[in-house]
Amino acid sequence: MSEIRNYTMNFGPQHPAAHGVLRLILELDGETVVRADPHIGLLHRATEKLAESKPYNQTIGYLDRLDYMSMMCNEHAYVRAIEQLLGIELPPRAQYIRTMFDELTRFSNHLLWIASCGLDLGAMSMFMYAFREREMVMDMYEAVSGARMHAGYYRPGGVYRDLPEQMTRYEETPWTKGKDLKRRNEWREGSLLDFIEAFARDVPSKIDIYETLLTENRIWKQRTVNIGVVSPERAMQMGFSGVMLRGSGIEWDLRKKQPYAMYDQVDFDVPVGVNGDCYDRYLVRVEEMRQSAGIILQCVDWLRENPGHVMLKNFKIAPPTREEMKDDMEALIHHFKLFTEGYCVPAGETYAAVEAPKGEFGCYLVSDGANKPFRLHFRAPGFAHLSGMDEMTQGHMLADAVAIISTLDLVFGEVDR
Amino acid sequence: MSDTLKSVAELFVNRFGDSVTVGSTQSGIVSLDIAVEHWLEVCRALRDEEDFSYGQLTDLCGVDYLGYGQSEWETEHASSGGFSRGVDSLGPGRFDWADRPEADQVEQRFGVVAHLLSFRHNKRLRIQCFAPDEGMPIVPSLVEIWNSANWYEREAFDLFGIVFEGHPDLRRILTDYGFTGHPFRKDFPLIGNVAVRYDSRKKRVVYEPVEIESRVLVPRVLRSDSRYNTDDVDLAVEVPAAPEQAESGEAN
Amino acid sequence: MGMNNPTPLGAVDDILRPGADQNPLLDRGMVTTSLDALINWARTGSMWPVTFGLACCAVEMMQAGAARYDLDQMGVIFRPSPRQSDVMIVAGTLTNKMAPALRKVYDQMPNPKWVISMGSCANGGGYYHYAYSVTRGCDRVIPVDIYVPGCPPTAEALIYAILQLQAKIRRETTIAR
Repeated sequence: MSEIRNYTMNFGPQHPAAHGVLRLILELDGETVVRADPHIGLLHRATEKLAESKPYNQTIGYLDRLDYMSMMCNEHAYVRAIEQLLGIELPPRAQYIRTMFDELTRFSNHLLWIASCGLDLGAMSMFMYAFREREMVMDMYEAVSGARMHAGYYRPGGVYRDLPEQMTRYEETPWTKGKDLKRRNEWREGSLLDFIEAFARDVPSKIDIYETLLTENRIWKQRTVNIGVVSPERAMQMGFSGVMLRGSGIEWDLRKKQPYAMYDQVDFDVPVGVNGDCYDRYLVRVEEMRQSAGIILQCVDWLRENPGHVMLKNFKIAPPTREEMKDDMEALIHHFKLFTEGYCVPAGETYAAVEAPKGEFGCYLVSDGANKPFRLHFRAPGFAHLSGMDEMTQGHMLADAVAIISTLDLVFGEVDR
Repeated sequence: MSDTLKSVAELFVNRFGDSVTVGSTQSGIVSLDIAVEHWLEVCRALRDEEDFSYGQLTDLCGVDYLGYGQSEWETEHASSGGFSRGVDSLGPGRFDWADRPEADQVEQRFGVVAHLLSFRHNKRLRIQCFAPDEGMPIVPSLVEIWNSANWYEREAFDLFGIVFEGHPDLRRILTDYGFTGHPFRKDFPLIGNVAVRYDSRKKRVVYEPVEIESRVLVPRVLRSDSRYNTDDVDLAVEVPAAPEQAESGEAN
Repeated sequence: MGMNNPTPLGAVDDILRPGADQNPLLDRGMVTTSLDALINWARTGSMWPVTFGLACCAVEMMQAGAARYDLDQMGVIFRPSPRQSDVMIVAGTLTNKMAPALRKVYDQMPNPKWVISMGSCANGGGYYHYAYSVTRGCDRVIPVDIYVPGCPPTAEALIYAILQLQAKIRRETTIAR
């Protein structure tokens, strides 16, 4: 009788279902996974060390690129950390804009998650539907900051600039004119807020389509129910946060427990799962998408009624406008100091966390009173989630390993930093 | 807010006495400095006792305090000695492997900082301990108390060289296979020491010394004047003047 | 011919007929010309990239393949296996740890193969140029045909790059070569 040994297999780093650069060493007994050893670091770009050589505002761009599916939420954590050390308060309009864009980002992230989860498990049409909605959110990012993905919109003291009065529209071309053009521009006739409102009102019907496709689908259920079950105690011990905790029944959401921005002023529910398997986490994320639409509508209403400034009028931190700079000597000096040296943050250390769509994204900032951070460390939710991969995958089959990787909602920009 | 924090801080001092020192209490998080001898015992108490019940370790990282409080911007001699850049010393990002600064003996150079979260009391805590020996920093591992410390300690070992005693599987996690050095230390250059290219004769990827030069545009400067007092800044909602409105209303 | 405008001004870039004045050998042999045109039509009309998304540019690449900027209409279908593809789009930051894997995937692709370097990180290190663990451009490891600037390049820019690659294939690929 020949000797039977476990088969060690290399999954990745180039793999359509590896969600980026993950090298997973799997020890297989037939088709069952005995041990999973994730090798990360294939996208380690030394963001934290680069930040030590740059003034504070120049690092905001790096934050977009960490969790590149939910850009503005990462910026929010970093900017909150700086604001905590500076000890400044924001104008309320800026906080509502941040809340609204955080929720739009959450929606965009969950769309990409459901698209890639569907793609991994075989439902490719989900990818097409979800990315169509994602294009709308990218249009909003572009309207407000100029860039489709990496916005760099949040700054310490508020946001860079106010929402535009006119949403970008499709132009008439030889192929699009008349009624066709009107249909395409249906939501874009007004300002950005009108566009966002029309979009958010349409969200429930779109999510109904996604649920029709997946929720009661036999194949989907067979591939996700009872896969990757995590008990609440193990979830807490392994450092899980966000949907990974809520899927297992723990009611923990930083937006409710340790509110920031305007989350204590808006009404929303937090969905919590029961079994802690992939199916429950899927249901939680879909329900979160619905709740996000509700929050966005509330923010739009407030923003419509309350104009104001969106950036702190403190020239020690936020630059003056160009007209002010050209007229006033003090404004010119402030502009000069801010753009050559940057502001100096008082010495101290702080930890600021936000409820990013993937979990708790935290920023630990140590300052020694200089214009550059002394030590900047990001607590990425994906790092803790991936560390629990071994425990979650044992006993499952190879195809389930794929389902588990996609339910962890990983993105290697933040895992490797 | 500060009263609650004070009472929380007192709770720690009353329970742990000399083994902890309460550090800063900024932004609602108490910071505790724990002596390395008591690290495990205090952490176990923090997890198990009713008053604390910090059930989750959300984050653990290393910090290298070499160069804390050092500025690069030295203008006094520059102004009298003629036109000069004013940048003095090798700050972060400015040096390469050949002229990296000698690590002077800094007491308490490597720190391990952990952030804990209590679900029951909805509180966060920051605990910090310093590795006793700067040449070979060794700190006890927290893996048995909080399992999530596993990968965080591997990362701190990889990036700083802090050895965690009792860790089941301490190997590099983020840096390249066969990488030498601990990159986040302050005396390791930002541009590193090796670069990679494909050699068509050897038919594989080879490592060569890095050939780019480091470049930092903004000098590091420390200023400590309290400028961020926003008491006299009006945060109330106001309608901006008409010209500003037209300017911000431009469509892109 | 400028570096950033690969198609020379005034040259006819007819989809089926490569520029005859660029290769004198093409003046002889009408058969060669038609065969070239046929081969180029087949190659450019169905370029199958291998999915090599590394970082944020991968998301823009997915957006290019999705509903609004449909790449399938150009015959571009993403293939998971390098052995079944003929173009590789390096989308994202290439780190030193990942470089051997990149070379291996490139070597597994059958000829003819082309490479599009997407985004400033893949072009020359980009935003992370000064980091110790980043390879300063994927062209240190593989030969690149088209560089797409941007951080990330918009999905439209990627489509433009694919069209440029199609023009390059038509211009440079001849049997007479």
